[in-house]
Parts: sequence; structure tokens; C-alpha cells
Amino acid sequence: MTWVTPWAPDRSELDSCVTCGLCLPFCPTFRLTGDETASPRGRITAMAAVGAGEAEMDERFFEMMAFCLQCRACEAVCPSMVPYGKLQEGVRAEILAADPKPARIARRMVLGRGLASRPAVHVASLGIAAAQRLGATRLLPGAVGRMASGMRTVPLPVPSTLGRSWRPDGEPVGIVGLLSGCVMDPWFADVHEALVQILRTAGYVVEAPGAQVCCGALAAHDGAAYDAARMAAANVEAFARYDTVVVDSAGCGAHLKDYGHWTEGGDDLAARVRDATEFVAHLIDEGALPTFPPGRGRVAVQDPCHLRHAQRIVAEPRTVLAAAGYEPVEIDEQALCCGAAGVYGLSYPETSDELGRRKADQVMAVDVSIVASANPGCELQMRGHLGPDIRVAHPVELYWEALSGS
Amino acid sequence: MLRPMDLIAALEGVVGSDRVRAHPLDRRVFAKDAGVKDGPVAAVVFPESAEETAGCVRVARAAGVPVVPRGAGTGLAGGAVPIEPSVMVVMTRMNRIVEVDEQSRTAWVGPGVINLDLSRDLASTGLHFAPDPSSQQSCTIGGNVGTNAGGPHCLAEGTTVAHILAVEMVTADGDIVIVGGDHPDPVGLDLRAVVVGSEGTMGVTTRVLVKLTENPPAVRTLLIGFATVEDAAATVSEVIASGLVPAALEMMDRAMVRAVENYVHAGYPTDAAAVLLAEVAGHAVGVDAEADMIARIAADNDATMVRLAQNDAERALLWKGRKSAFGAIAQSAPDYYLHDTVVPRTRLVEVLSQIYEIGERYGIALLNVFHAGDGNLHPLVSFDAAVPGELDRVMAAATEMVRVSIEAGGSLSGEHGIGMEKRDLMGLVFGPDDLDAQARLREAFDPDGVLNPGKILPEGSRCFDRAPTIGAAP
Repeated sequence: MTWVTPWAPDRSELDSCVTCGLCLPFCPTFRLTGDETASPRGRITAMAAVGAGEAEMDERFFEMMAFCLQCRACEAVCPSMVPYGKLQEGVRAEILAADPKPARIARRMVLGRGLASRPAVHVASLGIAAAQRLGATRLLPGAVGRMASGMRTVPLPVPSTLGRSWRPDGEPVGIVGLLSGCVMDPWFADVHEALVQILRTAGYVVEAPGAQVCCGALAAHDGAAYDAARMAAANVEAFARYDTVVVDSAGCGAHLKDYGHWTEGGDDLAARVRDATEFVAHLIDEGALPTFPPGRGRVAVQDPCHLRHAQRIVAEPRTVLAAAGYEPVEIDEQALCCGAAGVYGLSYPETSDELGRRKADQVMAVDVSIVASANPGCELQMRGHLGPDIRVAHPVELYWEALSGS
Repeated sequence: MLRPMDLIAALEGVVGSDRVRAHPLDRRVFAKDAGVKDGPVAAVVFPESAEETAGCVRVARAAGVPVVPRGAGTGLAGGAVPIEPSVMVVMTRMNRIVEVDEQSRTAWVGPGVINLDLSRDLASTGLHFAPDPSSQQSCTIGGNVGTNAGGPHCLAEGTTVAHILAVEMVTADGDIVIVGGDHPDPVGLDLRAVVVGSEGTMGVTTRVLVKLTENPPAVRTLLIGFATVEDAAATVSEVIASGLVPAALEMMDRAMVRAVENYVHAGYPTDAAAVLLAEVAGHAVGVDAEADMIARIAADNDATMVRLAQNDAERALLWKGRKSAFGAIAQSAPDYYLHDTVVPRTRLVEVLSQIYEIGERYGIALLNVFHAGDGNLHPLVSFDAAVPGELDRVMAAATEMVRVSIEAGGSLSGEHGIGMEKRDLMGLVFGPDDLDAQARLREAFDPDGVLNPGKILPEGSRCFDRAPTIGAAP
């Protein structure tokens, strides 16, 4: 038996791929290379071969797996409904177990432990805030530098929503939990603020329970499965009392919705999770939030993979933007990954850059001054590639501007 | 003859080391297409030009290793699966639309261009590439040429061969030649119909001049449910007999509809015994009348529901269901095996009931999806290849299904090609003289069996069977 962890790719799930190949053109790495080994079908074949002991678990295998962006575009178009994202997370856990080389351990420490530690994220945020003010982020090389250049300025003192709650002006209609997130909290405080104010306007009490931790998505994607499972368990407990948990980072939301295979009670929390655009669009449709007349201009919609492909949320961000008075503009029928893909840029800077450039070109082609993106990683990537002249914002920020009259 | 390491080095000399693979895992991944069988791969190479492709063929030839061309690997007949250790020449990187001539409605395209990408790219011109196999979102033009691919809309438009003006290919000697030309009716022997559908046995396609078809100004799509397969089949026969030529006329049986609906949620009636998807295309007034006529014929044959797609989104969703059919069956078992026979439309019901009977006798899970308009059946068996003996049982049942189709006056393949899976059934359709003639035609292109050997024609096709000149496994 090749596999050694409880997260190992499941034989029957691997078998559910009938190798029809309908996923191929939706896979960004296949699109770039034309190479079956860089396709979902090829990777499943490789996983099945290794799992059956018919192929070595060697460097070539590691490379085939690591090259995957985990965008899950294949999953959305798979008629056999193969749970590819889960298989890929499982195989990453196996690779970490089989080949604990220092670089892997270091990444695991950052993604599996660092992000779950409030003091660690705080210190890192202080460092970034200082570097931004000294102009030092410009000195970072390559894809890391580009991501850093795409960051919003981290406010000082470093903000946090943890343990806070907000009440509506009138009688509350309900209460929702807010996922603070690891880096959403310090780095994207404006998005949280916009979402909280929108929910207050709709009459909700919003609470960001202090016991919550990082959702564990980046840990899970990188093979730090045991850490990811711990984080999932902590969040299941932290959010136990909320009927609705709202998440304004698509990657985190997608992961929470997959908690079922990470921890006991995960399914229950997963069923209560709503992406911010999903929840706000629902309130708009219900008439609990107003619709503003058109005329604010055009906004390019960048579909984060973990919103569109993993959560299958397509209409909602457009509903939110249209309700704010914007005209949503499509840029990519296939919604190919922008190349951010969590920390993918660290491993494959050239591929990440190439996909980022393509996405930026698609935005430039439709001639807009604003791009809406509902995921922090995509936002960094878009801003890094588009430069300062085009604004990148979360759809709920744009809606809040309309709602607050700014 | 070159040793394996020398073969790799020589291929690297042609395309560079980053576009040659020989690691066991790479060889494993390229050993299979969308069908059920795999084969031995010696090396994988990704040429980016006709010259590089020619270089690869010359190297393989010198090494005594056959060449198997491959596109997206969506074939279902094993056309791109090697029978002996071979160099897989993967054409996906030759994916440029080289030149579009809107006036003459033609385009030169690389073999690696994805079928649907071509039509999407042409959207602003109002033109498209007509052949639309179910795998059109993934499959390549080179593969369409290789298998003479069909698709739902080939009922009215004809299969790939009707849409190819010229094929540039690398011959078994490593020369680059163009078969056909700009003119629809070239002077001299028209070899296009020989090359299209030859599954890489006569040359490796490196560029294709395709005909483009005008997008119809109006399209109507009907979803029709029936309480019995007989009613559906009778409707098909009457529609064709009425003189109407629908753009597409597709049938699915209950088992298939259920699998598809579970994935696509397009509103397919899961209680119907059979479902027809009918499409008419042309001018607005005409298509409305034609759609009415089909609806009337269906009603006369006791249709239990008739739904006209109200907009493009609804239409697209219905087609997505139909085109996902093969992939969707994994919901019942991990493997599928499907046939591609053609039967006279008039005997559809009779052959279908024989096919269901065979399925029952073998105790296999059978789903049916087919191009009813031209009698092209795709009985689809879902099974688990990991169960010992299961594949053999399925193959035996499938062979019987082919046999009843042919006995009813039908044919072995509608559109998937013969490849390796139906090679040994060719004898059901052709006598020794027919096979010998075909083998001799093929020898004229590839006397030494360098190009995709062991495909289409069964062993012993040649009356005096030649000794293989290609060496055994390296």
C-alpha cells in the first residue's frame, strides 16, 4: 500500500473518472502546455497508478501534482462529478508524508501553523505595514514582488474583527457569524467593514467569534492535512451557534463548504456557510436591501475559481454589482484561473505570471476602470498585473459605496 | 536500429529536451485515450511544426519504432493507443488558427486546434466548423480528421470529410505533402477521402484546410419525451420520411437520461422511456414551421411531453446534457465501453430490442444514446474493469451487438473510427478481397508499417501476409 495518511486519494473516487477528457480545455495548465500530464485526467491516471503501486512515488510524480493550480475548474465541468479538489488535497498530504524535505516542512510550518497563529500573522502584518511605508516591498523579486505590489496598504495599528460584534440600528432580524480569516482581517479590513455595514443595514447582528482560526484552506491545498483538520475542528466549534456564517473570501468559503471531509460536524457547518456575494445577492433579491439605478459605469467581473468552479456561484456577484448601479462586464467565458492560486506563485512563478498576464489582458480588452474580485489572492494578482490605474475591489465594497451614498 | 536511450536523444535533437518525455509515469499517462484499452509507449514528443513532426517520424523510422499521432486523447476506439512500443507524437502544441479566409469560407488550422475553440474564435465572422462530436469542447481538428468524426449535426451537414479541403501531412518517409487543395474538386485522384478517416495510418496531419459553414440565422430545439422506445423510433422514421432534414435528431433511453439529468439539471424527463432532442436550423419562418411539424408528428406518436427551448441558454443546457452523456455514466460504474454501429432507421426498434436482450442475457448495465436521425447507435455498457473477467464479458456482449447491427443491414462504425477496438470485427463487413484491397492502398502510403500500425485493418488483411519490417519492442 502506497498511501499512509487518512487523507489518501480514495480508490473509488479515482475510479469515478472515466477518462472522457471533457475537462482538458478547462484546465489552465493543460491550456498552457497541451500536455496530458498537466491535465486533470492525466493527474488522476498518475494518482491511480501510484496508489495501485504500479508507478513510483518519485520526483516526477511530485512535480505533476505540484503543477496543478487546484482551481477546480475541471470539477465544475465533470459529468462524472469526480471530486478532483479533494483528491488533489489528499495526494498533497501523501506527498508531504512521503517526502518531508525541508522546503515542504517550511511551507507546512507557515501555512499549517503560522496562519493559524494570531500573533504570527500580527507580527507578519506589522512587518509588511512597515515595509510598505518604507517602500521596501518594491525590492521583492519576481512573482512574490508582483503579489506584494498588488497588496492594499496594511493599516496601522493592524485591524482585527476577532471577538467583535455589530448591532443594527433597529430591531435585529437575525444574527450571522463572520469568518474573520487569517489575512483577510489585517490586510482586507475594508472588505470586512463593507460587508458588516451592509448586513447591519439589512438588520442583522454580525459577530466575529473570538475562538475562530484560519479556515485552513491553504494548509489543506499544500498537504498540511493534519493542521487543516485541526483548524476545521476549531471553526466548527467556534461557529456552532450561528445559523448563517458569511465569508468574504471565496477561497475560504469554498474550503468551509468542504469541511465535511475534514472534521466531524463539518457537513453541518458547511451547510450554513454563505459567500458574501451569495448572501448579499439573496438579500437584494428578497428586497431586504435596495437596488440602485444604473449609471455608475462598467465593472469587469473576475470570477475567482473557488467561487465559480468550487462553489458554482456565478450570478450572485453580478447581481450585487448590478444592484449597486454598475454594468457587469464579462471578461472570460471559461473563467480560467488568474494564476494566483494561493501560494502557487512561489512554486511556479512563470506559470502564475503567464496566467496573470492573460487575465490582465482580458480586463484591458474590455476597457474598464474597475475590476470586481471576490477573493483576496485574485485581488493581489489582478492589481499586481494591472498596476495602479485600474481599481480592484470586492463586489460588496462597491455595493456598500452605493448604499452609503459615497 | 537505435537503442532506447539513443531514440530519446535523437528526438531531443529534433525538438529539444523539454519536449521529449520518457519517464515511466509520462509513458503511463499517455498510454490511453478515452476508451478502455492502453498500450506501450516508448517516448512522448511534442512537435511544434511540420518540420519537427517530419524529424520525429524520420527518427522513429530509423529507430525501428512506430509513430502514433495523438490529439486530445478523446477517441473511443483506441486509434491513439499504441499496440507495440511507439513514439507518441502529440499534436496539441500545434494549435494555431493559421489563416482564415472569410470570403472563401475556409481556414488553415493546426491539427491541435480544439474543435469548439475554432468555432468560438470565428464567432464574430458568423461562421463555424460544422462537425460537432460530443467531445467537441476537448477534441482536436487533427483527431476529427483522423477518425472522420461525426456528431449530432452531421445528420444535415455530413461528417468531417465533407468539411476538409486539404490536409498537410508528414508521410512515412518523413516528407511533408499536401493532399487536396483550395478547390472543392481537385484535378486527378481525390485522395482526401482516403486520408480523412485513416487514423494516422497514412500520414501525420500537421495542418488542415477546413471549410467553414455559415451560422444558421435561426435555430429551434425540441425536447420530446415518450412512454416507449418504439414511439420515439416511429417519430424519427416519420420525421425523416416527411422530407424534413433536421439539423440534429438525437435519442436517449431512460437509463441515459437519468444519468445525464443528474449532472446537468436541464429538465430532461427522467420518467420517459425515451427522449428525443430535435433541432431544426434555417430561416426564422421556416424553422418555426419545421418545429411545429416535428411536434405534430411526435404528438401523433403519443409523445408524453414536447418542450421547445425558449432561448439560447436553455438550448445550450439541453445540448450540454446530450454531449456529456458518455462522461456522466461513471455515476453508475467506473468504466464504460461503447459501440458505434449504424443501422437502417427502419429497423431501429427491432435492433434496439435485440441489443436490450443481449444486455439482459449478459447481465450488464446498458445505456443507450444515439444519433437517431442517421441510425448511428451508441449502446453504452457501464462496468468495472477491475473485476476479473468483466471486460471480456462486456466485449463479448458488445461484439454481439455489432453483429445484430450488421445483420440488420448496418455498419461497424458511424463516426468513432475503427482503431484497435473494432479492427478484428472488420471481417463482419468486408470479405478477404475487400480487406486486401484496403491493405494494399495503405501499403502504398506506408509500406513498412511505421505509421500507427495494427489499426483499422485486422492482421492477415493482406492476402500474402507480409513479414513485419518494424522491429519488436526496444
